[in-house]
Amino acid sequence: MGLTPAHREWRTTMRDQIDRRTFIGGATGATLAGLTGCLGGGGGSEAPAHVGMVYSLGGLGDEAFNDMTHAGIQRAEEELGIAYDNTEPEGQSEFSTFQQQFASSTDPDYDLVTCIGFSQLSALQENASEYPEQDFMLIDSELDADNVASYRFREHEGSFQVGHLAGLLSTREFSHEGSYSGTEKTFSTDPEAKTVGFVGGKENPLIKKFEAGFIAGVHHADSEIEVRSAYAGSWNDPGRGQEIASSMYDAGADIVYHAAGATGSGVFSAAGERGRLAIGVDSDQSLSSDASHTIVASMVKHADTAVFNATKDVVNDEFQGGSTVMLGLEDGGVEAVIGTDYEGEIPQDVLDALESSREEIQNGEIDVPTEPEN
Amino acid sequence: MNPDRLPGPIAGLMGRLVDASAGERLAVSVAALLTAILIGGVVTLVAGVFATCSDPILGPFCYNPLAVYRYLFLAPLSDPFVLQETLKNSALLLFTGLAVAVSFRAGLFNIGTQGQLVLGALAAALVAVRVGPAAPDGAVGGVLIAGVAMLAGAVVGGLYAAIPGALKAYADANEVITTIMLNFIASDVAFFLVSAYFQKPGSGSVETRDVPAAATFGPGLALAMAVLLVLAVTYLLWGTAFGYDLRTAGIQPDAADYAGVDAKRMMVTSMTLSGAIGGLGGAVWVLMSVGRWVNGVPALGFDGITVSVLASNNPLGVLFAGPLFGSMQAGSLSIDFQLGVPRQLVGVIRGLVILLVAMPELFRTLGVRWGMGGVR
Repeated sequence: MGLTPAHREWRTTMRDQIDRRTFIGGATGATLAGLTGCLGGGGGSEAPAHVGMVYSLGGLGDEAFNDMTHAGIQRAEEELGIAYDNTEPEGQSEFSTFQQQFASSTDPDYDLVTCIGFSQLSALQENASEYPEQDFMLIDSELDADNVASYRFREHEGSFQVGHLAGLLSTREFSHEGSYSGTEKTFSTDPEAKTVGFVGGKENPLIKKFEAGFIAGVHHADSEIEVRSAYAGSWNDPGRGQEIASSMYDAGADIVYHAAGATGSGVFSAAGERGRLAIGVDSDQSLSSDASHTIVASMVKHADTAVFNATKDVVNDEFQGGSTVMLGLEDGGVEAVIGTDYEGEIPQDVLDALESSREEIQNGEIDVPTEPEN
Repeated sequence: MNPDRLPGPIAGLMGRLVDASAGERLAVSVAALLTAILIGGVVTLVAGVFATCSDPILGPFCYNPLAVYRYLFLAPLSDPFVLQETLKNSALLLFTGLAVAVSFRAGLFNIGTQGQLVLGALAAALVAVRVGPAAPDGAVGGVLIAGVAMLAGAVVGGLYAAIPGALKAYADANEVITTIMLNFIASDVAFFLVSAYFQKPGSGSVETRDVPAAATFGPGLALAMAVLLVLAVTYLLWGTAFGYDLRTAGIQPDAADYAGVDAKRMMVTSMTLSGAIGGLGGAVWVLMSVGRWVNGVPALGFDGITVSVLASNNPLGVLFAGPLFGSMQAGSLSIDFQLGVPRQLVGVIRGLVILLVAMPELFRTLGVRWGMGGVR
């Protein structure tokens, strides 16, 4: 496992971004997300391409999916010299408005409109046919149209990896000395109880893929481990997330994985209070969370790579309209990343086991399910 | 509250406002508008200091207030996309502003237009999806579907508003509280119904199927319908006996009662009328803006309150306040887009305009109610 060079680079940009955000956030409070993002462009009319970004709900500053894609377009700005503009919809019905705004703009004429998140599918269905000359990219969903390039992820594969890690750690003595909310604390597993947990946001096919992969990974380590699953019903309810995770920890779970957006920060709080471990999602959450010592690993979904690649295609005149790209472990689209505070603390045999299961997934020896088994 | 306990200078000022001539009131409004623009400009300039940008206009200042105002007021004229958005927003705000104005005229503070709009929109979308396949092809079918859908929106919105009306009339429940609470119930019930029963297949978000394309229409037609409705309601309020009763019940409930108006029934009726207009607005939102019901309905009902207050709760005033507010909303999109100034900041400017323009009118209304001023 370990860090790939691309990931290291991404880490640095995320760090810079977070530092800058904290500084600005302190000064202006509520409008921080808008302020940091909006002046992205600057390449002017001589830029090789103009990209319009339509983020998903939650907007910039979510320390997850949106920030990842933002990092991707920032990289494209740096390396390819493109110019871009951000828009952050505040409601479902605004997706269409912003897509149209980019598509109908003539100054600048946007070469690519990036639509982030499966919620934008319906709006894009209409707009892709209404603006046949405009190229779009869609992340996390699929639309069969000549002017749309779709990017999806094999989240189940990455989830399998973190599930495998959870299964391996849960059955052995493992502890980490760290801190939570200002006090020294030990975070440890409970080898006696063979239980781990999964907390989802809303129950839909996409999140089911996370759950399915995680369960399969856990059982790959030890088929006797019980996986408790629960859905919070919201992407933005840390209180509910904490409630669910606490009850899982109390029932003997020592590691809980979440795929629940901002609800997941409640999972980290629960882990911090109980002195247990948690696994983050979408980005390396140990970089941004206050409870970073609880985050043993994160299932990173490289939405930044998708954005960068699509932008590069547009610059090189190789736009992949009408195709769907699936990004999995093999292409570095998803990966399990050990938390910053845990680097060097994971036993070598665990890392070796993860490495071999990764190879087995890549060469097809392990077939990761996309729907939970039980 | 007791007006006698107001400090002298404030009471004097309010009395002065009550006595102000039409010309003076216009002058006050224009001065308020200019003041708001001035303050908004300073806020924009200062906010720009905290932003990061590659080419600041001057020293540490990132945002140019003059450019902001140019876009805010002129973009609808120069940019066809912004013009479309302006027309859409204006039409919708005419409906919701009118809905709020009707209830305020009847002395009822209907804060629930949002909920009535949400359910009206849902009803319209479901009916349109349902009758779509049965309707004849072509324009006739489209008109038929749209008509039935709008009727459904009005009926459901009206019935939903009748609930707080009846609660107020027969159980003396404060309508401000009940309508606010019913807003939450409306959006959650709508969410549940759609996600459990009417979900669009294959979609990851909570939304209904698309309404038939023939039933959808552009902002021009919506605006025309809204203006006609405003005129019709104005006639209803000032040209008919029913309107006279409604307004009397609003200004002086005891007098209306003495004159033989069934006050309880009037409460329910006027709330129903207000809700029906709100529900109609929801139907128009579905048929004109989105083509289906989607979760996260914009806060049109709440903006309607602002529009109504800005118009002194006068339906004809809504004809001006609605488009003013609507164009500023659309303008804020293009500012965010073209200048990189966050639209939340434009929201602040918008709020300042409304606050300063509406405040003198609000105090004047209160002053009239409390019998202040010399000339009666």
